[in-house]
Amino acid sequence: MPDKKAATPQNTDAQHSDSSAFSRIFNKLGIYVVVILLILLGMAVSGGQFFTSGNIQSILEAVALIGMVASGLIFVTYSGNMTDMCIPMEMAFAGMMTVQCINFGFWAALLAGILTGALIGLINGFMIGKLRANPIIWTWGFNLLLSGIVRVVWGGKQLYADTVAESTDFAQRSAEQFYSISRTYIGGIISLMAIVMIVMFAIAWFIHAKTAFGQKLKIIGTNYDVARFSGINCTATLVLTYVLCGVSSACGGIFYAALRKTASYENGTGYDFSCLTAVLLGGVLLSGGKGSVVGAFGGVIAYGILNNILSWVGLGTYEKYLVQGIVFLFIVWLNTYSNRKLGKA
Amino acid sequence: MAEGCALEMRGISKRFPGTLAVDKVDFSVKHGEIHALLGENGAGKSTLMKVLAGLYHDYTGDILIDGVKKDLFSPSLSKEAGIGMVYQELSLARRISICENLLVGRLPKKNALFIDRKKAVGQSRELLARVGLETLDPTLDVSEVSQCDAQLIEIAKVLGASPSILVMDEPTSALSSEEVQRLFSILRALKEQGLAIVYISHHLAEIFEIADMVTVMRDGRLVDTFPVSETNTAMLVEKMVGEPIQTFYAEGHETVSREEVLRVEDYTRWGFFHHVNFSLHRGEILAICGLAGAGRTEIARAIMSADPVDRGKLFVHGREVRFKSFGDAIRGGVGYLTEDRKVVGLALPQSVRDNVLSCVIDKYKKGILFDPDKHRGLVKKQIEQMAVTPDDPDRQVNSFSGGNQQKILMAKWLAADVDILILDEPTRGVDVSAKATIHNAVRRFAQQGKSVILLSSDLPEIVGLCDRAVVLREGHLIGEIPKAGISEKSLLMAANGEGEYVHAG
Repeated sequence: MPDKKAATPQNTDAQHSDSSAFSRIFNKLGIYVVVILLILLGMAVSGGQFFTSGNIQSILEAVALIGMVASGLIFVTYSGNMTDMCIPMEMAFAGMMTVQCINFGFWAALLAGILTGALIGLINGFMIGKLRANPIIWTWGFNLLLSGIVRVVWGGKQLYADTVAESTDFAQRSAEQFYSISRTYIGGIISLMAIVMIVMFAIAWFIHAKTAFGQKLKIIGTNYDVARFSGINCTATLVLTYVLCGVSSACGGIFYAALRKTASYENGTGYDFSCLTAVLLGGVLLSGGKGSVVGAFGGVIAYGILNNILSWVGLGTYEKYLVQGIVFLFIVWLNTYSNRKLGKA
Repeated sequence: MAEGCALEMRGISKRFPGTLAVDKVDFSVKHGEIHALLGENGAGKSTLMKVLAGLYHDYTGDILIDGVKKDLFSPSLSKEAGIGMVYQELSLARRISICENLLVGRLPKKNALFIDRKKAVGQSRELLARVGLETLDPTLDVSEVSQCDAQLIEIAKVLGASPSILVMDEPTSALSSEEVQRLFSILRALKEQGLAIVYISHHLAEIFEIADMVTVMRDGRLVDTFPVSETNTAMLVEKMVGEPIQTFYAEGHETVSREEVLRVEDYTRWGFFHHVNFSLHRGEILAICGLAGAGRTEIARAIMSADPVDRGKLFVHGREVRFKSFGDAIRGGVGYLTEDRKVVGLALPQSVRDNVLSCVIDKYKKGILFDPDKHRGLVKKQIEQMAVTPDDPDRQVNSFSGGNQQKILMAKWLAADVDILILDEPTRGVDVSAKATIHNAVRRFAQQGKSVILLSSDLPEIVGLCDRAVVLREGHLIGEIPKAGISEKSLLMAANGEGEYVHAG
């Protein structure tokens, strides 16, 4: 009898760790199964054109911008604040500031753009982390306010780096350099944008998995009150979260402006939902505290390939909206469903 | 089996990933019988009752209702089979009227559009009469009635579906002793009407008072079933724990020194507590006792800076402090184990490791880096000391039973390495052995020369653990009881404002 009693818990232990290890791997890598399936589907619908350098480039370019923004958004979602509705204006504002400052030189202009994103993130973080504003309503409203500011300040105009730049050699060279960042291909194939995106994801992974900030965010994202009653400085952590999101959105916005050769208040339109879709596809829980950067990266790739396939199938912009909407709502439903299974909702 | 079995469960098993929560249990209840179901947390009694409620579709074994086999694969099937569940947490909507709550889903209608209010009120009165609430106005909101009445309304609501079997999970946890008596007289009346009642409770005294039969479960298995008249407390506890328990409460210790580690002076938050003075010494376990709502939790929250203070001073180690944040208080050496582990205590969907380390991230970080795996040893040591089973640091907290979760919460605060720990109901709703583990940990903590403030409604706990008690009543500190004078009786008298230890005025 004592033997039996001792044996039972051990067995159940082993079973438990087996099943949780399995599900952990599957949750992390599950999205990559989807990626492979999508690639196979892409090869089928593109008639063998999927792996042409032109197509790979266009996937990587599309994915690069979403990925840059998503590498920061993941922290907001993970922190339990769902999403940052300011993303479109963070991107647009950063792009406009960069172009506006092009006369101070290329690097100074980049810095101006990134600081713009950081400042917007700082304000968001203060309102949500310190004053506990509703994260959706506040960022949504602030996005509207920012779009007003941008339109008033620049009179609703679009900015072009080469016309903003003075006719000095230095300024013109800065403008050219600015345009070139989205057109540089390492080894002739891999876009600089894609490399920047991958570097940003590597940094995000490091912050998420290896720092005290990431560990605190895990507790905050799971249960804000538990974090507070464990002595975690929630305000500072959330401010940093939104600053990270602002900076990465700004990076996305700068590359976007360079790619289109235009900085406009419309530049980030649609990125709020497409980036959130990518993050959620990657298995980050909408209610926070669960998910990984590796998974989110897979989500970004899957989202990019999906869009590419839609083009190959020949869907127009209108139908694309339809499909994107369906994918978004489906993934939100899936998220809520798994939340219920975790007993959180 | 014998005739007259309202409910017969044969060989019921229910497996969760990694554990067999209920293992081939036979359980039967007769008409007109109150059958108590006993067991430590995690013994499987809640799971067994959830099978009965139709919450699982993958249990194995047979369930016979009045001798007829039924498949209870969904809550509505279970309801149809005549099973009524009264849960620990109330399922009433507080902001709508009693009659709407009672008749939810089956309000009588005048025609396609309008509800027949008169009929609804009439039906509600009938239901309320069955639980002794004839005088209650069914048009009141649930939020306007007392906790006890709400509990009775909950029972009335379940009775509305005319069940033949009633399952009650800890129905008395929020009730005062007078209210418990009222509930019992209603239960006896329902028993007379031929209902089969399954009664789950941790309070052994209640079981001796109300139940006819008692079944004890342990580790998912049925241990024994016998008539209440043939048993006693020691026997039940032994069956629950599986080994004879010598004493719940070990001898007191003599480690209290005269060195003062914490003192509050004239501590006041208007409307919650007023002009409170007390001090805490090194190695001491001090109880702040009082009835629910006396202001115990509020004082603790104020010390930790979670709530504001209107006047008064706080001294820690002789220096006056006013903590700016919860983290500041922890850095100052004061920790607070909160009352409600699910809401503010533990991040349930995260691992034991992440929870145990949550107070010490800043303490152990290197620059900006923090590697939780480096502190596995610390986590492992703490959960081994608290006898958390299984002692797997990577397992999610919500896969543990309530008693083990509470042990993990205690481990988290022991890991926080503070020297003054405020414990707010550290053993509420946990089983006997988890309670003993936590009590031993508290004692060890004090023996190391650290100090504890214990806020508890559990009188035997205060008697067994504390070196001194201060008594709080309606926000005022009205007395102090030294170690020698602490007994359940003196505590209860003092909490009610009577007895030798209450100051005059």
